[in-house]
Amino acid sequence: MNAKKKILIVDDSEMNRALLEDMLSDDYEILEAENGLVASQILQENEMDICLVLLDIVMPVMDGFALLELMNRKGWIKNIPVIMISAETASTYMDRAYGLGAVDYVSRPFDERTVRHRVDSNVILAEKQRDLSARLAAQIYAKEKDNRLMIEILSHIVEFRNGESGLHVIHVHAITEFLLNQLSKRTRKYNLNHKLISLISNASALHDVGKIVIPSEILNKPGKFTDEEFEIMKSHTLEGAKMLKDIPFRSDEPLIKISYEICRWHHERYDGRGYPDGLKGEEIPISAQVVALADVYDALTSRRVYKPAFPHKQAIDMIINGACGAFNPLLSDVLRECGDELYLKLQETSQGDSSAAEIDSTLARTLKTEGTEASDRTVKLLEHERTKFKILSELSREIIFEYNAEPEMITLSEWGADYLGMPVKIFNLEESSFATKVFAKGDFSALLQKLKTASPENSSIIEKYRLDIKGVNTWCKVYARTIFSDAEPPVLEGAIVKIVDVNDEISEIKSLEHEVEKDYATGLLNRKAAKERIDSALSDIGNRKFALVFFDLDNLKEANDNRGHLFGDELLKHIAEVTKQNTRTEDVVARIGGDEFIIFMEYTALPEEQVKRIFSRITQKFGDFNVSVSMGVACADGEVTDYKELFEKAEKAAYSVKNDKKNAYRFYDGSMANVLKNRGVR
Amino acid sequence: MTVKECYEVMKGDYDDVLSRLRTDERIKKFLIKVLSDPSFSQLCTAMDSENMEEAFRAAHTLKGVCKNMSITNLAYSASNLTEALRGRQTYGDDLEPLLKKVKKDYALTMACIQML
Repeated sequence: MNAKKKILIVDDSEMNRALLEDMLSDDYEILEAENGLVASQILQENEMDICLVLLDIVMPVMDGFALLELMNRKGWIKNIPVIMISAETASTYMDRAYGLGAVDYVSRPFDERTVRHRVDSNVILAEKQRDLSARLAAQIYAKEKDNRLMIEILSHIVEFRNGESGLHVIHVHAITEFLLNQLSKRTRKYNLNHKLISLISNASALHDVGKIVIPSEILNKPGKFTDEEFEIMKSHTLEGAKMLKDIPFRSDEPLIKISYEICRWHHERYDGRGYPDGLKGEEIPISAQVVALADVYDALTSRRVYKPAFPHKQAIDMIINGACGAFNPLLSDVLRECGDELYLKLQETSQGDSSAAEIDSTLARTLKTEGTEASDRTVKLLEHERTKFKILSELSREIIFEYNAEPEMITLSEWGADYLGMPVKIFNLEESSFATKVFAKGDFSALLQKLKTASPENSSIIEKYRLDIKGVNTWCKVYARTIFSDAEPPVLEGAIVKIVDVNDEISEIKSLEHEVEKDYATGLLNRKAAKERIDSALSDIGNRKFALVFFDLDNLKEANDNRGHLFGDELLKHIAEVTKQNTRTEDVVARIGGDEFIIFMEYTALPEEQVKRIFSRITQKFGDFNVSVSMGVACADGEVTDYKELFEKAEKAAYSVKNDKKNAYRFYDGSMANVLKNRGVR
Repeated sequence: MTVKECYEVMKGDYDDVLSRLRTDERIKKFLIKVLSDPSFSQLCTAMDSENMEEAFRAAHTLKGVCKNMSITNLAYSASNLTEALRGRQTYGDDLEPLLKKVKKDYALTMACIQML
């Protein structure tokens, strides 16, 4: 990791870049950009690595001022010092550059010593600044941790005497913080800001500190208190307050003041019926009001020597209904509306975790409000997240890309880039082959337009495009999720986009459709499909001639009864197979019900030969089983042109066989008109 | 021709460039790069097509390059043209002599560098 530090030189003249590089390359690794746009792309990629930028002003495409503006919007200017290297030394130019955050300038012609000196000193300065803020972050972290630890130790001592688990303090802390945060969203009445919320939550740990002076026989008494005992118990509020008041130094500390309020008044009630002072409504400080509610909720939901634990919902109902005294209606509202969220939060809260998470969030807030840059820790976290994203997107073997709005660029997942034969980084989007070859003309611009017109509330986009994937036109679904800045109004920062091949999905649906036409058991067509095809052939019959053959098995019942249903099924499959083999592909072969089949086929001269051959093949032995069918044939030869009629005639012919001797075929003739009147078309 | 002689002929400031770039070797290396610097030809093309904005940028860059190499003479004529082009929208006859001077100085400079 002892690599040279990187410097980015942005100048449109290759000569000038070469000169500067020559002067600096002994000590630094040099990156070059010929205009602001290229520079912004390099910065986007190497933000954390670049320790200084040397920037010209007059450049094509994107000039130095525009880059400075962008660096301001992106916040890069806070971490990366910029030295202007323009030949423009007019004071208006320099003022504007300084105003945009440039730290220094080097005028042309470049003097080696001056350039090196300015660069070195600015790099060192920026490094010191970074180092200082990292130290500051570490100190805040340590201090916050120690404070919390002291308070926790103290309150655990109290609880230990109280025979409680030690979780009470932690729960009250979490509930207090939760309620305050919710409250601050609803009203400004109490001036609740992050600092105050954190202070009150911390101080909440001390609410029962006065119990230290209560005799443990009373503290841990399982039964009901006598009046006298109750008075002693109640005194823990005043005792605690007194302890805090008697602290000899620093009585002005906000933490001590708030702790005092909480100790003294966390048993007051909104209707004035609490103790020790009988304060009413807003006379009770908000700190004490919230801790009172937190204390009651946790007491209700925990087991105590004198009571079992109540379930969450019941506890909430009891509080809202006033079973534990009156509370501020605003707080009751919070509890009513966010009670479930609170419950989940408490489930997640385990001891160690909660305070570590708390400190993290305090740290993040402190750093944010005090305007310090990201600490090393956050940078590491960020890197970790990036690696995670990268690995996950590679593993998924999907085409995923990240769209960055400014500078406009795309970063494809490595797998996706490889699969598409595209580079990982794509700039100049509109002209790139990604936008013109992979996407059809206009589609990519349409997608970008969709991303740009999305809003934080409506950040998901799903579109279907036909993409060229390795030269094959493929239907794809494009899922995009846009990302917006925290600014007001929010600004589009980019999007994560996933491309999913849905071609398979579509062909699967096609094959499903085909499936529906088929008879599941034999793979022949089903009745509906057969009818459609026959109708279609008959509607366009012209001079052609067709025969409809209907047959059913005479002895399926016998097969089922004597050899089992499995054999019966095998037999049907066998018949289907033989029929299929002995007909042509253009013939319609279908199983239309239990043991009934039809064949619809074209013939030229006479159909008899064809029918005879099929009949003889079907009725060959299946194993040692004698297959017997009754087969009837009707011809569509100009007279009959309707499926229903044709079918009825074939069926009648078949049943005239069945009623007679079975196992034969017969052509329909007028004498059969009255056979089987009771059987309609199936 | 030595680097010093080259500067004398093309009317540059040898002492200045030596004080900044420190060695003849380095000066020579970058002088040769001036040969392939595209800003002069970009300037000519832009002037031909009366693209004032591009012409300004190219003249500006040429001036910067020359200043860096202490090619005083060409830097001066390029600078004059740059100032005449600054903020300008349309072509005018007054530009003609300025461009002509740049072309003349450029030709001399290139000839000298080529003899190094």
